[in-house]
Amino acid sequence: MINALKKVPLLVPLVLVMAILALSTDTFLSVGNLENVLVAAAILAIPGVAMTFCLAMGEFDLSIGSTVSLAGVACCSALIAGLPLAFSLLAALGVGAFIGLANGLVITKLGVTPFIATLATMVIVRGASLAYTDGHDQIVSSPGLKYLVAGRPLGIPMPIVLAVAVAALAWWTINRTRFGRWVCAIGSNRDAARMSGLPVDRIRIAVYVLVGLSGGLWGLLISGQLQKGNGQLGLGFELDAITVVVLGGTALLGGRASIIGTVLGAVMIETIRNGLNLLNTPPAYQRISVGLLLIAALALLALRRRERRGAGPNRVPARVQESAA
Amino acid sequence: MTTRTQIPLGRLWDTWGVTALLVLLVLCTPVIAPGFLEIENLQSVLRESAYVGIVAVGMTFAIASGAFDLSVGGQLALTSVVTLMAFNGGGTAAAVAAAITTGLLCGLVNAGLITQLRVPPFVATLGSLFVFRGIAYLLTQDGPRTLPYEQVDSPFAKLGSLNFAGLPVPFLIMAGVFAAGWVLMHRTAIGRRTLAYGSSPSAARFCGISDTRIRLFVFALVGVTVGIAALTYITRVWTADGSAQDGFELKVIAAVVLGGTALKGGKGTLIGTFSAVFLVSVLNEVLVSRGVESAYQRIVLGCVLIVALTIDGLRTRFAGPGSFRRALRPTS
Repeated sequence: MINALKKVPLLVPLVLVMAILALSTDTFLSVGNLENVLVAAAILAIPGVAMTFCLAMGEFDLSIGSTVSLAGVACCSALIAGLPLAFSLLAALGVGAFIGLANGLVITKLGVTPFIATLATMVIVRGASLAYTDGHDQIVSSPGLKYLVAGRPLGIPMPIVLAVAVAALAWWTINRTRFGRWVCAIGSNRDAARMSGLPVDRIRIAVYVLVGLSGGLWGLLISGQLQKGNGQLGLGFELDAITVVVLGGTALLGGRASIIGTVLGAVMIETIRNGLNLLNTPPAYQRISVGLLLIAALALLALRRRERRGAGPNRVPARVQESAA
Repeated sequence: MTTRTQIPLGRLWDTWGVTALLVLLVLCTPVIAPGFLEIENLQSVLRESAYVGIVAVGMTFAIASGAFDLSVGGQLALTSVVTLMAFNGGGTAAAVAAAITTGLLCGLVNAGLITQLRVPPFVATLGSLFVFRGIAYLLTQDGPRTLPYEQVDSPFAKLGSLNFAGLPVPFLIMAGVFAAGWVLMHRTAIGRRTLAYGSSPSAARFCGISDTRIRLFVFALVGVTVGIAALTYITRVWTADGSAQDGFELKVIAAVVLGGTALKGGKGTLIGTFSAVFLVSVLNEVLVSRGVESAYQRIVLGCVLIVALTIDGLRTRFAGPGSFRRALRPTS
């Protein structure tokens, strides 16, 4: 039990926040509300899980917010053009995978730093989405697309089904497959990974394609919810996705991944957003609380690291500091 | 030493490459964008670039020290809101004082998170981005803060639109900040130490460079530049709320990186940053005058960024990354 807590440090604060909300509001514990929280968390967990791979590798993908927009637009405009639903869904996923592939190729073959490469594709893809829609909404009315968000196979909301499937697959991949080991190996020391003969470039490209695909799925869910696609969807989503992973305890510098942590991170963020809504606080507090949460989580991690290592690696002997002054 | 036999081509490109591109682009403008070289248009380009450029000075130091500051957008929104509140309450002097103080405080908060709580800079400033913007939203819950209409002729409100000897005042302020930044980076101990720290934090620590002081210096500097930038920004648009300048941090970081400052730290070029700021805005202006929609402008700018960084990757093979020894040498 204590071991489990150590592995998933987010569990205690999450239970704490839920207890506070249960005591301070009447509605938080109602079935409908809890379901709302879990559905929102499920939608956020899907890209979070994919982003976990990216951060485990020690890299970021900033373009995922724009992917959400372009994938949504692709699906909606395919539906408007009268193409079958299956094709429209595949189009969105294809757009996501293609953006991921482009990211991977630019990063590995052209040698551009991931931060800047995905920053550039973020701008390009957002531009493509705005240019294609000419700033207009692409409104659809598609029960099939709606089913992705609001459907209930066996009474369970569809996003939760999807998120559980994605998270289970990701957990298995990270912990039980060669590919997962390789991703973490690249994250902890890329040069060592290359020298041991791992196909580093191919793994990195694969991870970016995964993130792109999850962005495509995220776009489908968002567009399904709103029944429209446009160039403004998904603004700032990349920060949400990264925040979830960092909250979940995946090390920022790579080498380790915690899928369960990421899922709990998504639940944590959506619980807080929901709680602040129930308490009628202005939306501004939601931003502040997410920011503070992020800082607190990382400060705690840093503190634990320092305790474990004694004085810590960052300390310079006092004598050296004095002589420098 | 192998460094002596190297062709200096790579290093020449480091400092002057973007400037050369800028000159080339401007020389082409009579053909590709007639009307660009008219005085009024040039003045507007200089004026519009000022606030990005000013913050880019601080960001050049941050990236050269091996860290990002992702919170500058939130800092700018918060500082602008507070500045307008101070102006409405106490006039010009209060506004200027409020801008610099708020910016500095934001920077100190970041530095505190990084040095005292030991949160990595990327996450600390990502978190404080949310927090600063959130506070700006809180302060503007009942509508954006604006300059009162009867004050639009006051000297403060005119600061952003005045010209001095034909040059816009915001541009002059920006040029001053760049000059000060250059002196700070190349002629002072703390500037050299920042570069040394960026190229190798652990080597710097063994030389007795205090990482707390470097972080404090860098993030306070970013805060102060945001304060100055807020003054030129707010006196031009006269209104601010929590959503002011969404995505500003990426604009600034893009300019610094395009200018040739190494993302891994240890190498900063303010001349490059200066030219990159204008390269982006001239390119924007050319696209606008050719009737290219803003959506396509983004695509072009993104491609420029990728091309520039690809060239940078090739360049590294000629000149090598920023070296620790070179960083400590007094001239560059």
